[in-house]
Amino acid sequence: MAWMRGAAVSEEDKLTREQARHVIRRAFSMLRPYKWEVVGAFAVMLGSTAAILSGPALVRYGIDRGVRKHSGGAIDRAAIGYLVVAVLALVLSRAQILLVTRLGEKFLRDLRLRVFDHIQSMSMAFFDKEQTGKLVARMTSDIDSLQELVQQGLVQFVTNTLLIVLSVVVLVAMSPMLALLCMISLPIVIVASVRFQRSSNEAYLAVRDRIGQTLSTLQEGLSGVRVIQAFGREEVQERRFTQENQAQLDAQMRAVKISARYFPVIELASVATTAAIVGLGGVLVHRDAVTVGTLAAFVLYLTNLFEPIQQLSQLFNLVQQAGAALAKLFGLLDTRSTLPERVGAVDLPAHGDIEATGVAFSYDGVTPVLAGVDLRVAPGERVALVGPTGAGKSTLAKLLSRLYDPTEGAIAFAGVDLRDATLRSLRERIVVVPQEGYLFNGTILDNVRIGRKGATDDEVIDALRMIGVEERFRAFAEGLQTEVRERGSRLSAGERQLVSLARAALANPEVLVLDEATSSLDPGTEADVEGAMNALMEGRTVLVIAHRLSTAERADRVVVVDAGGIAEVGTHEELLAREGRYAALYASWSGGLAAAS
Amino acid sequence: MTTARSPRRAGWRLLGATIRPQRTGIIIGVVAGLVWTAAKVTIPTLTRLAIDRGVIADEPGALARWSVAMLAVGLVSAACTGTRRYLAFGIAHRAETELRRRLFAHLQRLHFAFHDRAQTGQLMSRAATDLQQIQGFVVLIPITVSNAMTVLAVAVILTLTNPGLALLALGALPLVNVAAKRFSSRIHPVSLELQQELAGVSTVVEETVTGIRVVKGFGAEPIQAARMGERTVRVYERAMRAARIRAGFMPVLDFLPALGLVAVLWYGGHQVLDGRLTIGELVAFNTYVLMLIWPLRMTGMLIAQAQRAVAAAQRVNEILSTEPEIVDRPDARPLPAGGGEVRFEGVRFGYVAGAARPVLDNLDLVIKPGEAVALVGPTGCGKTTVARLIPRFYDVDDGQVLLDGVDVRHLKLQELRHAVGIVFEDTFLFGDSVRANIAFADPEASQARVESAARLAGGHEFIERLPKGYNTLLGERGFSLSGGQRQRIALARAILADPRVLILDDATSSVDPTKEHEIRGAMAEVMAGRTTIVIAHRPATIALADRVILLDEGRIIAEGTHDQLLAENERYRQVLAQAAEQDAA
Repeated sequence: MAWMRGAAVSEEDKLTREQARHVIRRAFSMLRPYKWEVVGAFAVMLGSTAAILSGPALVRYGIDRGVRKHSGGAIDRAAIGYLVVAVLALVLSRAQILLVTRLGEKFLRDLRLRVFDHIQSMSMAFFDKEQTGKLVARMTSDIDSLQELVQQGLVQFVTNTLLIVLSVVVLVAMSPMLALLCMISLPIVIVASVRFQRSSNEAYLAVRDRIGQTLSTLQEGLSGVRVIQAFGREEVQERRFTQENQAQLDAQMRAVKISARYFPVIELASVATTAAIVGLGGVLVHRDAVTVGTLAAFVLYLTNLFEPIQQLSQLFNLVQQAGAALAKLFGLLDTRSTLPERVGAVDLPAHGDIEATGVAFSYDGVTPVLAGVDLRVAPGERVALVGPTGAGKSTLAKLLSRLYDPTEGAIAFAGVDLRDATLRSLRERIVVVPQEGYLFNGTILDNVRIGRKGATDDEVIDALRMIGVEERFRAFAEGLQTEVRERGSRLSAGERQLVSLARAALANPEVLVLDEATSSLDPGTEADVEGAMNALMEGRTVLVIAHRLSTAERADRVVVVDAGGIAEVGTHEELLAREGRYAALYASWSGGLAAAS
Repeated sequence: MTTARSPRRAGWRLLGATIRPQRTGIIIGVVAGLVWTAAKVTIPTLTRLAIDRGVIADEPGALARWSVAMLAVGLVSAACTGTRRYLAFGIAHRAETELRRRLFAHLQRLHFAFHDRAQTGQLMSRAATDLQQIQGFVVLIPITVSNAMTVLAVAVILTLTNPGLALLALGALPLVNVAAKRFSSRIHPVSLELQQELAGVSTVVEETVTGIRVVKGFGAEPIQAARMGERTVRVYERAMRAARIRAGFMPVLDFLPALGLVAVLWYGGHQVLDGRLTIGELVAFNTYVLMLIWPLRMTGMLIAQAQRAVAAAQRVNEILSTEPEIVDRPDARPLPAGGGEVRFEGVRFGYVAGAARPVLDNLDLVIKPGEAVALVGPTGCGKTTVARLIPRFYDVDDGQVLLDGVDVRHLKLQELRHAVGIVFEDTFLFGDSVRANIAFADPEASQARVESAARLAGGHEFIERLPKGYNTLLGERGFSLSGGQRQRIALARAILADPRVLILDDATSSVDPTKEHEIRGAMAEVMAGRTTIVIAHRPATIALADRVILLDEGRIIAEGTHDQLLAENERYRQVLAQAAEQDAA
């Protein structure tokens, strides 16, 4: 029972009437492919509610026509009718659960895939701006709260609403006067329910907040346990935690108090209404205004009426929460990608040079990161980009692979502006290997396969062999099928780097943009990585962001990037002879080495 | 069998011990529940009296009398339902809170080796999910007692009224209990699986978003989309499996009482015709049957919940019954005055008991009071281990570590830890202000002391430039600092503690070499007259030490000044050159 845990929605997330209407309309438009299933589910719900409601009516029939008129046949008919209705309810509510859940889950499946595809289609600029946590939350906690509604509350919400509405209709139809009498406690119930819904929402929000804080204090106490013990501060931390813990308890007790006040009101209203129906209804029976059977039916209906009201007041929070989640998801789906493929985009030619002309770029549109960059790299040429941190080397690499578009100027491959190329052909020609080997959950083979969709195992193994690391991974207990675990934690940093290089080998691009790793590796792996890189660079156009002196030395040309522009270009020897920035950089590098040795 | 049963019994014991302090609340809660039950079961009887005497027989004043009586009883039951609810949740939340406090306090005291093995995520789930399971069980105790009484009372009343009808009406109801229990225990594993599949979805999302550069760089969006597709299908399947279980049970839970109602209507109706039952009794029978549905369902759930709670309590108990290994001995001594002499005598140590090769093997080392020593060596040589044995984060396997002449195992732990300050390689800062982080060892420290510690650590300038200076909040929800800045705050934290022995474990590795130069002067001041152990690989940092010790494979292979070793030792040059190549990157 999800609602027992207390769903809640914060004030800023609450939807206005207009927004709510919009969200509902949009949700229904997503359900259009399942139109008939929606109709079917609703019909079944209507049917099962009607079946439940016909019970007391049959009791009335039994009493008025059977007992009062001394007709055994009428009693038998009523009982058989009741049995039929009960079986009907059994079948229908079974179908109802299955139909509604199937519909809801299909909706969620579509939504998940759409949101995920949409996120993936966004440009890098979008990912720079949005926090990872927030994006993940859209796909997890927001969709999960919808899932919770579908799994736990949706059927109840709809059937309870139907039950209340239909009960009122039936009661009025049976006896308007008694029905009116039932309404005497209604104002109190409505006021109490609305107030409960509001204050419990507030209280649950506070509880959720507090739980979050307690858990983060706990998490901190665990990750920082070594520091805490090193400084002998266990008791202080414990006191701090106890305070958080107590604050959580206080918040929980406030929520408990609110519900402990609400439930008696509903219970009293239920008994009071029954008392009123029996007391005043009895007078009406004496005046022959209503039958005994009707009175009995009313008593039975009332037993069923207050429970749904009580549940609805709690389910309402869950529904509101789901509405807010849905609104956020639709908001995300409405954000457009800034890097779409142009209409009529062409495939890039198989070979060619890469050329940047007058390229300028800024992440935020204000501070320029690159300006006036001109650079041509011939097919098969190996160029090293060097320069201080923040000079714009990595940005240049990102522009070359069109993770961003330049703000000014253009980048072309074989004479085709990258913006006019199909994204697929672009990714095949130009591949970036980032600094850190980033791995996904799955096996080593799976991870290499990221390089080219649909590659066979043999092709993947060929890629590993090509860069000379097949044996290294085969030596693992589970070989190439080794699960790398979260973020590849099963492998060392160097091994992750090797997998990442194998990926590039599998992709087999014309142009390779390598961001050399800065982190340190153990000497053995270092040699493997070096060998893999050399094998990979063979016969390709290579741009490498060099962090190692040796890499720059070996390049055909060195490009010194400084303060957002190209400061110097030339071979290693030429630049040394020029005694400019490169020479200075080289001196400080080799100086560091000299000091150590 | 005993091995399987005794942890289970320990789980129950823990549950018992947790709720025992609250017995007054439980008793009042149970009493309120019983009064509520009494009131509840009276109402249909009053309805019957009102119908039979007031409506059918029309005795004068009967209608008014019984209606008012119903209202009065309604007041009592309402008051009791509120009280019972308040107490039940109160007890459960308090029990949960107390267990969480104990868990935290205990975890804080468990030794390093425990935390090396334990996964934070696992421990977190003990404190979150498992405690919630326990709470969910405790909350049901008072209502279960009144539910049981309701069932009993109704059974008695109905049997006294009309035994035959009672049997027909209630006959199918025990099945509700059975079905509810079976439902609860069948749905639980499936919903756990569903939770796991949902976690799987979030893994794919998370790694795609964090690894988006790789995904985009290779145009691997379709691959990730396919993985997502697989995941969503699995979620869909699990969700539908849960739905099928629900669809199988929930309607049955409604159907069984309906059978009772059919029996009441049919058999009861005929009994009324025969004059053996009144109409009021017929209506009352109906209401009574409806009244039993929830108690029976809940009892079934309680049984399943109790099983989960005991399993959870077992896991919590496993942690609580782990004894902290590094504690004060009964005869622990205070730390004598001294200059901070550190002595390793024949120390053997390994993280894994019985490992083929210990990390430290028969290590002898003396560091004189006030001396500054640099430990140098390749990765895995044992230098960090040396640092961690001095404040007794681990106990040695053989030999002893002495501080000012006393084996650290004989010292009062608090005093030892205050006397030895350590700056770890991976900096941990708390989600608190910069000030609070620096003043961690002494929250009462004056601003002047905090600032002077920050100055010595080379942090004052950048801290002043932070948005709120020393009051800037750090951590997840606060400001994020660079690695070098974090290290400088950690350094200031150790300086403020003013320890007798200061250990810097690669503590300035992330500080930009150009900035480290700024710290160096101040560091000399910190180290003056204080025993200092520096683990470092930058020549400039090593130069701060009076003496350099070269460690390899858990042994000392050379010692001397930096210049001496540089001139004479090939291995020393190798180690430094390797570090420098990495550092230049």
